[in-house]
Amino acid sequence: MDAVERANVERQKRWVKDQKVGEGTYAVVYRGREASTGRKVAIKKIKVGQFKDGLDMSAVREVKYLRELKHQNVIELLDVFSSKTNLNLVLEFLDSDLEMIIKDRSLVFLPADIKSWMAMTFRGLEFCHRNFVLHRDLKPNNLLIASDGQLKIADFGLARDFADPGYKMTCQVITRWYRPPELLFGCRYYGTAVDIWSVGCIFAELMLRTPYLAGESDMDQLKTIFRALGTPTEQDWPGHTKLPDYITVGQFPKTPLRDLFTAASPDALNLLSKCLIYEPRRRISAKDALHHQYFFAQPHPSYPSKLPKCATQLATAQPLEEVDANVDMESTVAGGKGGPIKARPKRKLNSPYDDSKSRSIARRLDFTQPIPGS
Amino acid sequence: MSSASPPATKKSVYEGSTQFKNWRYSPEKLAHVRSTLNQAAVAVIKRTFEAYEPGSSANVLFLTADEEHLLVKHYIATITQLCSLFRFPEEVEATAISYFKRFYLKNTVMDWHPKNVMLTTLFLATKTTNNPISLETYTTHIKSTTASDVLDLEFLVAQSLGFEFSVWHAHRALWGVWLDFQSLPDTAADWPQAHRDAYETALGYVRASRLTDVEFIFTPSQIALAAVSLTLPEESYKWLKSKYPSYNAVETTVNKIKTIIQSLSRPPDVESVREVDRRLRLCKNPEKIVGSKAYLARKAEQEKKAEEKRNRKAVEAGEDDPFGFELGRSTIVDDDDDDDDDDN
Ligand SMILES: Nc1ncnc2c1ncn2[C@@H]1O[C@H](COP(=O)(O)OP(=O)(O)OP(=O)(O)O)[C@@H](O)[C@H]1O
Repeated sequence: MDAVERANVERQKRWVKDQKVGEGTYAVVYRGREASTGRKVAIKKIKVGQFKDGLDMSAVREVKYLRELKHQNVIELLDVFSSKTNLNLVLEFLDSDLEMIIKDRSLVFLPADIKSWMAMTFRGLEFCHRNFVLHRDLKPNNLLIASDGQLKIADFGLARDFADPGYKMTCQVITRWYRPPELLFGCRYYGTAVDIWSVGCIFAELMLRTPYLAGESDMDQLKTIFRALGTPTEQDWPGHTKLPDYITVGQFPKTPLRDLFTAASPDALNLLSKCLIYEPRRRISAKDALHHQYFFAQPHPSYPSKLPKCATQLATAQPLEEVDANVDMESTVAGGKGGPIKARPKRKLNSPYDDSKSRSIARRLDFTQPIPGS
Repeated sequence: MSSASPPATKKSVYEGSTQFKNWRYSPEKLAHVRSTLNQAAVAVIKRTFEAYEPGSSANVLFLTADEEHLLVKHYIATITQLCSLFRFPEEVEATAISYFKRFYLKNTVMDWHPKNVMLTTLFLATKTTNNPISLETYTTHIKSTTASDVLDLEFLVAQSLGFEFSVWHAHRALWGVWLDFQSLPDTAADWPQAHRDAYETALGYVRASRLTDVEFIFTPSQIALAAVSLTLPEESYKWLKSKYPSYNAVETTVNKIKTIIQSLSRPPDVESVREVDRRLRLCKNPEKIVGSKAYLARKAEQEKKAEEKRNRKAVEAGEDDPFGFELGRSTIVDDDDDDDDDDN
């Protein structure tokens, strides 16, 4: 056997496949563990035999980017090996995703919780963008949640790099509800701003507990956006009427975000509005977002280990003490300034939000208001 | 460049890359890797020859590491030709060549002939750089090539690359250096227009460098700088001085690269390639030649093992599990029917 084949077999032996836990469009996912340590992992088995062109593009992209991106808020690819006609990606095991959490009506989100998820999302995204990677499919179910509460950006099957400016790209990316208007207008030269729009939609969804801009078709998506944010003028977004698939879908007035997001702080709304700026070039960058006042104002972001979790997750969660929350929060939000987060003493002692009783009633009305029937 | 720049407090993006971590070598290390691979392959192939026909390896003239490298270099030039045939972007060509060279730091040409490896790395590079074309289009445009010539080795190539598909290229760094040149004080406004030819010349040096080992030894920006320095020596010197207080160190590095590009970037002459290839036919690993006696024997052995494993699995699946896991278990077995090596 060749050295290369032997190395592959060695890698394969490191991991044990247990039970099937899910199935995506091009892969079956198993729960597994590292043979030597028992560490829980997810093994994503991609059948390659079925593709007449060999390794398919989603798998290639996922492997290409995850191999390079190592960050606390990006899912970790631990290993890759092949077995006959399958490609196996060994990923860190992540119990749930943000969509499950948003949909779990038994959970109440505090403003500090939302801030924490947003901070982790922006940190992961800033890292991707710094590495010249566009994700192009951000949505709540691609933001996975680890048992210690850390949020991890996952599913790089549509990602690409943008080191080459002025390179034509497909506009058929990003799940519709999270797709920015420039892509709906067929723009083929775009950048990091597309991901920021998606994050804006996720931010809104965390506050509303229901998808913010849920269009029923691509055409309806534009209408939904304009109904919510007003039809853009030439001044709002110079040149947009010249985009390849530009169409008029009606004139809608601007309504203040405040009308819908009644409970949100002014800082939160300011950041949200900057994520949802029509002109892509003026939309806030992930880096600037991390320095936005919102992340420095009260309340401070919840520690990941204290974030609301789905019931299924609670069973497997680690004891809180195991997580060094101080380390969690100081990394990039404060941007070096040694901001308020770092300076804060251990929260366990003095935080008003720790008490589980206050959590279950706190501001319930505020954040569930727009959901019909609740 | 990075070696001479002030120590960065934060790791640069390049320094976090798999290329930086896993694909940098000293010239000595490169030579060592190649000779070790070569010797190991010769030993294995000799044994195989002897096993099937005792005495048959005595008169075989195996390839040396240098001869292997000569062949690899020849096929790098072929990748370039194919890329212009298909009009693939620079990125595809550069990536395919890096893959191809990396492959032969893990394998030898006596096991895997460069022709098919070349076809596979190029096809893989179209995908990893997001410029995919259908396999059918690909094979119909290349003389006497079948789909399996390309796909059979895809996993082996991917494995050899450690599934590290992302490559940092000197031609990209060149663009960065070029923009930076324009920002030098007292640069004329029409500098870019006036120097368009110079840019092409520098790009030519970057392309030529792909036939050498520089990408394993130096950073993309060092290579780019060397290419510019070969093209515009005076301006480069000025730029270097303005940019690096310790420009001497950078200059030494750049000069090394220049020497390598100038002396080693020509494809080998056809006659010597022919000679090596002729000998390769006689010393190839027989287990890797489809249809040969050794190949068939090895296949049969693998089949037998697989069969045993399948049987074992069927038995296990049929057993009653006292802990009530049958359900989960049998689904796994069903799902894995097609690949028996998944039950590790
Ligand atoms: N890292 C992981 N840890 C635990 N479970 C996972 C992990 N990744 C995926 N899963 C489970 O496997 C399922 C399939 O995941 P996969 O990423 O293949 O597809 P998807 O994102 O759900 O769908 P699609 O392929 O259509 O995008 C998920 O819904 C989830 O239940």
